[in-house]
Amino acid sequence: MADRQTANPSGPDTKPAILCRHLWKIFGPHPTQILQAITAGDDLPSAHAGHVVAVRDVSFEVTRGETFVVMGLSGSGKSTLIRCLLRLAEPTSGELFVAGRDLLALSETELRDVRRRKISMVFQSFGLLPHRRVLENVAFGLEVRGEPLREREARARAMIELVGLGGWERHYPRQLSGGMQQRVGLARALAGDPEIMLYDEPFSALDPLIRREMQDELLRLQATLHKTSVFITHDFAEALRLGDRIAIMRDGRVVQTGSPEDLTLAPADDYVAAFVRDAPRAKVLSVRRIMRPLPADAHLAEGPRLRARDRVETALPIVAATDGLIGVCDEDGALCGCLDRGDVMRTLAGA
Amino acid sequence: MAAVSPSLPRPTTLQRGVWLGLIGLGLLTAAVLWPAEARAFPASWNLGLRAPIDAAQDWIIVNRAQDHPLFFYFFEPLSAALDTGLRLVEGALLTTPWPVLVAAAAALGVRAGGWRLGGVAALGLLGIGALGVWEPALQTLALMLVAAALSITLGLPLGILAALSDRVDRALRPVLDAMQTLPTFVYLVPVLLLFGVARVPAVVATLIYALPPMVRLTSLGLRTVSPAAVEAGRAFGATRGQVLWKIQLPLALPTLMTGVNQTIMMAMGMVVIAALVGAGGLGREVLLALQRLRVGQAFEAGLAIVILAVVLDRLSDAFSRQSPGAATTLAPALCRDGRLQFAAVVLGLAALWAGAGAAGIGGIPTTWRLPVREVVDPAVRWLRDNVFAFEVAGLTLGTGPFSDFSTIWLLNPVRDFLSIWLPWPVLITAVAVFGYALDGWRLAAASAVSLLLVGLLGMWAPAMDTLGQVLATLVLTTGFAIPLGVLASQFDRFRDALRPLLDFLQTVPSFVLLVPVIMLFNVGRIPGIIAAVLYAMPPGIRLTDLGIRAVAPEATEAARAFGATRVQSLAKVQLPMALPAILAGINQMVMMVLAMVIIAGLVGGAGLGLEVVTGVSRTQAGRAVEAGLAIVLLAMTLDRVTQRLAKGEDRGPKSAG
Repeated sequence: MADRQTANPSGPDTKPAILCRHLWKIFGPHPTQILQAITAGDDLPSAHAGHVVAVRDVSFEVTRGETFVVMGLSGSGKSTLIRCLLRLAEPTSGELFVAGRDLLALSETELRDVRRRKISMVFQSFGLLPHRRVLENVAFGLEVRGEPLREREARARAMIELVGLGGWERHYPRQLSGGMQQRVGLARALAGDPEIMLYDEPFSALDPLIRREMQDELLRLQATLHKTSVFITHDFAEALRLGDRIAIMRDGRVVQTGSPEDLTLAPADDYVAAFVRDAPRAKVLSVRRIMRPLPADAHLAEGPRLRARDRVETALPIVAATDGLIGVCDEDGALCGCLDRGDVMRTLAGA
Repeated sequence: MAAVSPSLPRPTTLQRGVWLGLIGLGLLTAAVLWPAEARAFPASWNLGLRAPIDAAQDWIIVNRAQDHPLFFYFFEPLSAALDTGLRLVEGALLTTPWPVLVAAAAALGVRAGGWRLGGVAALGLLGIGALGVWEPALQTLALMLVAAALSITLGLPLGILAALSDRVDRALRPVLDAMQTLPTFVYLVPVLLLFGVARVPAVVATLIYALPPMVRLTSLGLRTVSPAAVEAGRAFGATRGQVLWKIQLPLALPTLMTGVNQTIMMAMGMVVIAALVGAGGLGREVLLALQRLRVGQAFEAGLAIVILAVVLDRLSDAFSRQSPGAATTLAPALCRDGRLQFAAVVLGLAALWAGAGAAGIGGIPTTWRLPVREVVDPAVRWLRDNVFAFEVAGLTLGTGPFSDFSTIWLLNPVRDFLSIWLPWPVLITAVAVFGYALDGWRLAAASAVSLLLVGLLGMWAPAMDTLGQVLATLVLTTGFAIPLGVLASQFDRFRDALRPLLDFLQTVPSFVLLVPVIMLFNVGRIPGIIAAVLYAMPPGIRLTDLGIRAVAPEATEAARAFGATRVQSLAKVQLPMALPAILAGINQMVMMVLAMVIIAGLVGGAGLGLEVVTGVSRTQAGRAVEAGLAIVLLAMTLDRVTQRLAKGEDRGPKSAG
């Protein structure tokens, strides 16, 4: 996935689920004028007083079934970016194809239909409706798209079961803990069976232990549902755990996009490097990424073998127990490289 | 934060102080040296509004009688429709047997706030019956219900529009501001002229008075619904209407109900005042009794008003306090248990009605009267002899002499100082300088022009009389309210003891406050001032208390950590930080004081209120309108200046940081 071509996809099957090109979002009274000024080269902060350039020329694509994480600190524009994907914030300029549609060309009615059926969102502050019970909250999306009471309640009950909240249907959100409330938010988003799930820092408001539990829950759901997901977070560890690919944002720009391994091994700049420094490298890196080519004269006939796709973490016991070079096999069991204890330790030390 | 260009140094506080002092000195010299004959506002400058307005009044009176199209096709049918509605409600209330009304009140109370509230509501109605004012009370209730219902049905959609559209909001805001700043008296005159004398103008005036809180609180409630909830709705593809009905309105319900509560209470207060323009009911009973100095009778009707107001307040307040989770309270038919209960209550009431009707029961029997006036009248007589004026060692003491003394030695000098001695150009200049120091040229110009217009209307002298009373009252009110607020913020027990009293004072319609005060102080300007102090104090106390309590505990804790005593931390940390809230309280107090001082024109107070009353009672619309406009101008100036004061203090620390 990491070295995937970025050229235009040719067939309908390989079309990315989300295609975002040169997206800009400027807040303020005259966004288009500011955009023209900036593209004309006049990008002095004094020139756009009263305006905030929240999203700056952002391009990325998300393939079907992939979990794409956007990581950035507060004020980096990541929340605005995800709101643009649903046009909760109206992009100033750019191209946006979501679920096979030109999102920016949709009329109000068509957009509503996309929101009702194709894309769902989970919010940082949960966004639950305090005057409705759990069941009615989960059924909300189905209700606004006009599904009959009985069907939407049956579907909502199934979703509540799915996120492990069976038995809480008649409670009000305020009677639930934060983690449980976000499970309701998750169930509500899943209830409409959307193609794409947007997560806006869904676990940031939760305690670390609960956050971890919710991440596991999400991984479990994702393993069975395979929803195309865009996940916003400010927590790099969370990005590493959940993301197939990660985009790092700073001041409205995407600084680097890549798999967790790409970022860890080749941070594009000091900013990315600062996050990567504390990454749990043993968990992020695969054996394939740290092995070296087989030396021509090497004799690795004996001893244990490592699998190229394993994480370094799982290879550690073998590495600890073996002196000298250890062979690495690819999927077919053929030798494709080797490493020794020194390679592993240098990698873990971040050298 | 932003770089300030060094070429324009801001004047320091000291420099400003010196400047203001010099200007003050100059104004004082001018005032002393001013020629005596030019001190009063020149009468020849009168704009001469009176004659055309009187002519317009005559035209209206003549054409209304002769079925001019404007009246025949617009005001008369509107008036007739309102009158019919009023008659229907009043007739329904008056023909309902009293046990049914008492039981219905009890049922509402139980539904809104449990058995205790049910008991309070039922006892309240019985008490009103026992005061012998059952019929006028029901008339007042009918008037209030119609006016409040109109305010709510008009205010709700307007508030929704104001919440959905910033443009509507901007357009409505100044109108609502004006409606709330205008003392009620002012629009009584045109309403009277257009709708005739009776209960209809009362309904219209009440509508004008009670509409703003409904619009404002609807808009506020909708706008303060958590944006996260609204965004979630949009994200799931809800239409604007779905967001409004399924998210915003249910979540704003508590605020909407607060609006209903305020509207009902304001309608109640206004309906009482509307007695002046010929609406019947309890207000009329109070007014007639007061004018004939039958204090006992006035006390009974006043007490009935208080009881009615308290019951209505508790009922609507209880509805507004219901938790947002249980959004079905207003529509009990929505949940199954509620539907059953509702049906049972309705059936029970119907059965009661049939039974009572068959037994020929109507209003509460007059023989059940409590002997209130029989107790009050001797008490008042005793008060007159022992408190109002009594002799000690050859000196006449008591509230009567106190009243005379303060009128002669305090109010008259202040009035004479402002309206006779102080040259009018000096006063206008002083106000303009004050306005400039507060907020620059715009406030200075607005205040100066307003005051000049007061003079041009020919109302300089009565306006200065009113202003003098307002200032004297404000000094008294602030002098009581702020120390009491500080005490309340420091001692929970004191605050708890104060709370029911403040609740009570805020529930009592302003006009009724005059009754006990007049019992003690006779008619004149002093009772108006005392009633105004009582009326305006609660918000001052509350905002001072709230402001101090809202000071971040870290700040107080830090002061304590550095070894500050309680008094030091109060004086150096809490009070300065609470200043914006306290000044906001003063703004509210000024407006309430002004309203009350004007109303006191009814009971012998002087100034602009008296001018309006005289104008209305003698059908001299010109005089009433001139005085009314002067009241508006005075109110606007006082409001702007005090509001600016509060905002300016609010801004101060920020620009420094």
